[in-house]
Amino acid sequence: MGLLKWGRTKSPWIIHFNTGGCNACDIEVVAALMPRYDIERFGIIIRGSPRHADVLVVTGPVTRQVKDRLVRIYEQMPEPKSVIAVGSCAISGAPFADCYNVYGGIDTVIPVDVYVPGCPPKPEAIINGIVKLIEKLKAG
Amino acid sequence: MTEETTEENEIVRKMKHLIGKNVLESEVTRPRRIFILVNKKVFGKAIRYLTKRMDFSHVSTITGVDVGEEIEVIYHLNRAGTTELSLKVRVAKDKLVLPTITDIIPGATLYEREVHDILGVIFEGHPDLSPVILPEGWPSDVYPLRKEWTIKKIQKKVTKGGKR
Amino acid sequence: MSYPTIRIPFGPQHPFHIEPEYFMFEVDGERVVGVKPRIGYVHRGIEKATEDRTFIQNLYLIERICGICSHAHTTCYTQAIEEILGVEIPPRAKFIRTIIAELERIHNHYLWLGLAAHEIGFETLFMYSWRDREIVMDLLELVSGNRVHYAMNTIGGVRRDVTPEIVEKIRKGLDALEERMRYYKKIAMTEPTISKRATGIGILKPKDAIALCAVGPTLRASGIKRDVRADDPYIAYDEIPFNVITYDGCDVISRLFVRCDEVFESVNIIRYAMEHLPEGKIRIKVPRRVPEGEAVSRVEAPRGELIHYAKTSGTTKPERYKVRSPTLGNIPSLCKMLVGGYIADIPIVIAGIDPCFSCTDRMAFVNINNNKQWILSGEELRRYAIKWYRKE
Repeated sequence: MGLLKWGRTKSPWIIHFNTGGCNACDIEVVAALMPRYDIERFGIIIRGSPRHADVLVVTGPVTRQVKDRLVRIYEQMPEPKSVIAVGSCAISGAPFADCYNVYGGIDTVIPVDVYVPGCPPKPEAIINGIVKLIEKLKAG
Repeated sequence: MTEETTEENEIVRKMKHLIGKNVLESEVTRPRRIFILVNKKVFGKAIRYLTKRMDFSHVSTITGVDVGEEIEVIYHLNRAGTTELSLKVRVAKDKLVLPTITDIIPGATLYEREVHDILGVIFEGHPDLSPVILPEGWPSDVYPLRKEWTIKKIQKKVTKGGKR
Repeated sequence: MSYPTIRIPFGPQHPFHIEPEYFMFEVDGERVVGVKPRIGYVHRGIEKATEDRTFIQNLYLIERICGICSHAHTTCYTQAIEEILGVEIPPRAKFIRTIIAELERIHNHYLWLGLAAHEIGFETLFMYSWRDREIVMDLLELVSGNRVHYAMNTIGGVRRDVTPEIVEKIRKGLDALEERMRYYKKIAMTEPTISKRATGIGILKPKDAIALCAVGPTLRASGIKRDVRADDPYIAYDEIPFNVITYDGCDVISRLFVRCDEVFESVNIIRYAMEHLPEGKIRIKVPRRVPEGEAVSRVEAPRGELIHYAKTSGTTKPERYKVRSPTLGNIPSLCKMLVGGYIADIPIVIAGIDPCFSCTDRMAFVNINNNKQWILSGEELRRYAIKWYRKE
């Protein structure tokens, strides 16, 4: 495994973005950082800027107001980058999928690598999603 | 009416005394809940009376409802945290204007803006009716809470005609 | 005077700033002289969507208006529909709804404490309070099956019962939560970092609070004794004794103390409710078709007065459903509090109203003297504020 790849898979840096969700998934994402689940022990750190991040963790259905911002954040991330869609809203927009101000799931706007279902998914499920992503990165 | 609702009935009685047959409908649905529909031409008088003389100084929110030819605007007023009086006034769609109440109760500012966004009611005298919840680029003739705009119709129009 | 706002493709969400929002500030040196809020990034169009769903389907939609006050929203909703139906839920259901509501309040205040600590750079308190928050999340999961979005309410009562074993576990959890909050309150009272950042900051005078229709702890920290649970009782609050907490400071630290003390009150309410839990059914059957009618339902959510308006027309779906969350009620007051303060105070003052959009995503600044404009992300502003206060 090359040094860069080793660095990325050993310690993925994350940036989190909410595209109009109810906050439930965001609370569970932040709970994953807290002492009880503590994803930092896996080398995962949350960064403040997309330019420093390997992984974009997105929650919420994409509202019209936020769509451009989501695309911009994705474009600012350096290659190679990955996206994890956390929660039912991020996957399909449900239960807001037919609301007038909602586009749909995240993958209607940017490509997604890992989907973590749940409403909201528990922190364990979110960590599992990140681990799956790391395995995917290691594999190819 | 039971003894419990006497205070509410008293309020209704005072309103009727103030504006007479311009109280078009009134109902005390339960303790601490009053609904009154007034004629638009006495709206200013009614709201001033309730907020300044009857101590309904808290605006919980303002609701707009599309009832066909008209928009019904409901002012949910509260007195001392307890009794909630919903003052309703109907405005014809072809002349969708009401005076602002932000000169009496500044806290109503965002509620009026919201009703303006989603139903198109113009609150005359409001300092700033710019969009508050609808996104930029939203087409100006699409009022989402109007019955003629179904969700499917909105989505078609906004994806095609709007900037998004 | 209106300034053009610059849209600079800029920095991201701060990970702890949960919902995106937007403020524009007019500044004169280090002082804020004007604020314009622009919400709507999370506007989904829920009210319209309720008209296309049955009353039971709407239960799950309305629960997801907010991930933190989901029980408050469903309580408000079921109350409105039950009122129109003219049904009274069983006494046991009222008590269970109350227990969950107060557990949710404790959860919210612990969460808030952590986020507020984070705003002023007090990371240790953030970590500690969020670790303790797990206690109440475990209790909620025990009772309802989920840590967030408990889905306990249904039209006609609650869906799950509380067993004696659960009651015992809740008692133990409450003892721990109460003891921890005593410790954090002591820290808040004695720790100079907190005091410097929160005392005398974000002033909201009582007459402004009333004129701007403030709600919740924000209102109560300006000395106004208003609480929907006491003034307009619902579920079991007319049967359970408790105190409405007010403080006179009108500043951010008063808002903090109000929330700390409310946790103690919530603990006592839950203890009383469990001790006096009535026997009997937990739900009654209700028809699918709701007769024509309307209702206004009010609930004291953790952030303040929550109000729903329901209008039905005799079908299986609502005619109109209106929701006004407490945060919207506090935005005018928030703008008032920010004007006259320093730029460095912005993060903690915004956090002080416990907004359901946590701090802002981007804040635009305009200097009124030279028309210079710039944008800071929430994270940058937070760091700026911490550094600024360290210099003082």
